[in-house]
Amino acid sequence: MTTSSATTVGSTATAGLRGSATKPPRTAPPGGGSTRLHRHEQKWALIFVAAPVIGYLAFTLYPVCFAAYASLTQWNGLGPMRFVGLQNYANLLGDEYFRISLFNTFFYMIGIPIGLALSLALAIAMNRKLYGLTAFRTIYYIPVISSLAAIAILWQWAYNGDFGLMNQALALVGIDGPNWLASTTWSKPAIIIMAVWKGLGYSMLLYLAAIQSVPRSLYEAAQLDGAGAWQRFRAITLPMVRPVTFFLVVTNIIAGAQIFTEINIMTPTGGPEYSTASAVWHIWRQAFRYQQMGYATAMAIVLGILILIITLIQFRLNRRNSFVID
Amino acid sequence: MRKSRLTAGIVAGLVVASTAACSSGGGGGSSEGLTFMFRGGDDEKAAYQEAIDRFTEETGVEVEVIVTDADQYATKLQAAIAGNKVPDVFYIEQANLQSYVTSGILMDITDQVAEQGVDLDNLWEYGVDSYRYDGTLQGTPDGRLYGLPKDVGPFAMGYNKTMLEEAGIPLPDPDEPLTWDEWLEMLKQLTQDTDGDGETDQWGTGLNVQWNLQSFVWSNGGDWTNEDRTQVTVDTPEFAEALQFFTDLTTKHQVTPNPEQAQTLDTYQRFMAGEIGFFPVGPWDMSVYNELDFEYDLMPWPVGKTGETAAWIGSLGIGVSTTTDMPEEAVKLVTYLSADPTAQETLVDANIQVPNLIDVAEEWASEDGAEPANRQEFLDIVQDYGRPMPAAMTYGAAWYDELWTNIQPVVDGQKPAAEYLAEVQPRMQQLLDESNAQAEQAAAAGGNG
Repeated sequence: MTTSSATTVGSTATAGLRGSATKPPRTAPPGGGSTRLHRHEQKWALIFVAAPVIGYLAFTLYPVCFAAYASLTQWNGLGPMRFVGLQNYANLLGDEYFRISLFNTFFYMIGIPIGLALSLALAIAMNRKLYGLTAFRTIYYIPVISSLAAIAILWQWAYNGDFGLMNQALALVGIDGPNWLASTTWSKPAIIIMAVWKGLGYSMLLYLAAIQSVPRSLYEAAQLDGAGAWQRFRAITLPMVRPVTFFLVVTNIIAGAQIFTEINIMTPTGGPEYSTASAVWHIWRQAFRYQQMGYATAMAIVLGILILIITLIQFRLNRRNSFVID
Repeated sequence: MRKSRLTAGIVAGLVVASTAACSSGGGGGSSEGLTFMFRGGDDEKAAYQEAIDRFTEETGVEVEVIVTDADQYATKLQAAIAGNKVPDVFYIEQANLQSYVTSGILMDITDQVAEQGVDLDNLWEYGVDSYRYDGTLQGTPDGRLYGLPKDVGPFAMGYNKTMLEEAGIPLPDPDEPLTWDEWLEMLKQLTQDTDGDGETDQWGTGLNVQWNLQSFVWSNGGDWTNEDRTQVTVDTPEFAEALQFFTDLTTKHQVTPNPEQAQTLDTYQRFMAGEIGFFPVGPWDMSVYNELDFEYDLMPWPVGKTGETAAWIGSLGIGVSTTTDMPEEAVKLVTYLSADPTAQETLVDANIQVPNLIDVAEEWASEDGAEPANRQEFLDIVQDYGRPMPAAMTYGAAWYDELWTNIQPVVDGQKPAAEYLAEVQPRMQQLLDESNAQAEQAAAAGGNG
């Protein structure tokens, strides 16, 4: 009895892990030992499952429901909530600054294709045998691991109209640079340039990994068929890195829709004529400076729904364009 | 069965632990000491730490200090409140007092302060009254007390004495304010190219519209609102004239760094580098300015057509949370920081504020070899002619911020002041109406609870 139960321990344990797809424990040789063990393990499994489920309930589902309710109230974040129905959403339609800040937020996304193109080019360059390759890879990756707040302060100085690095560089080629962050025309491009620079290293790294996993045989076959470098890039590299591109576009759009720190540090008042204010910055200001927590929550929900819609569209588009190589 | 009891126990334990973690912070948690949340620059942090150490020495009450940078303070405090972890003692802004009181966050400390024998008459009236609230109006002398001033912040005009003397300009009279025209003449004289390279490198002044316009508007007879703060009055001719004069300094008379140079924060740097003649000075600037290579002094702000000088005066208060476990000790810390002579000495010696105690302040102002020499100007602002910032006593500042949001074209000289003010007034009025309506609802809701 003792030996038989000892041998079944291992098999039931794995069966339990694999779930009901393998041999159900009930058909195991009779003997209370294995069944009790199974129950025991099931309990532990439940406990382990409970951790993320409770986490999800407490930190995602509950806040979302709470926010949905808060968006229907007038609430200063401190005192009692006063139910006002859809009033906040109605006000939102007439809020010119929310519209401007949404526009700005999507304007910043111009940086995404620029950033992707640059990082793909860089990744291809980094994929060659260059002298000092590791040093270059490191240099491009440094902005990614640096503190965003510190970077924003540095760039604020770089954009200084008088003695900023940016305008000094432009002066070398004879261009009289603008006062970047104080100009309604140049403040958004300034933020975009910085965001592209900051994200370059991360996208480059992912592209590099994707390029290196493209089977060499494809290139060899194409070369035998007489394909040039450009054709090989168009017909092989680009489609093969498509999953990475898709991943980067989706995550960049989601992150870009929530751009905040750069804005708040580089232009603490939202820029001249609100020209740099992003949606999240506008929401934050309503919530914490003007104590309109209910209204701010309503805007946050609208923003969240917009992001969801855009992401769904992307998934749909990607599915239509996807293909498989065997 | 034993096992299942064990799992139930673990699950229960997890639940209890997580709820405990949520609630244990309430009222500062540990019963051993107080938590004190405040903000400030390095000099300020050091000075306050010193004062608090002495408080602990004298009373035996441990104080855990939470310091934040100035621009993060409001967000962090609100997060602490939302998370039910309100510090026992914390800074409050004048503009937030009403909502904190009606939401039941701030404790009424009127009686405890009286019990502890604090002589309120020896504190600046403006400072104390800023934290009084009678349920409808803030700043009334009969209102209940919800905090004491950490300090009062009079914002005076200052000048580079060394530069004026070199230019042969008579120093401004500390009692007789300059008129705008007289002042402009001086600014023109100071604005020059000192090293002869063809570029101006010394300017008369360099002001920031958001922080410096107030004095010009007020001394010209204009204001942001009417007296009961219900009507936005920025579209008056007096207001427009003041804003136009202000922007003309840059665009027409060119006695300030040009808009590009001025926008990038650096008129402050340029003043410290000795490139700018006239520049505003707050008490918090003294610790830095006293170390500069040139001498500076204070003067009344130049005056518009009323002939009466005007300046704004800020204040920050220290309040006590309603959820504190140690109300008596908490109030003691407040009165200590605000009104204890030794603590005041520590803070004043650090050159970060003017004294809160009137007798100490008068002594401080008449000190021999004081720097700046005309410290009395700060006290005059506090006692005589200082005014609160336009949004300090309204419920929220959205209406006030609206003025600055689109002002850049006026500052750049692309749009006349009067035209812009006429455009912006209705938007500001709408926001003020909304904030007044919210104040009423909040007061009504708070009155029930």
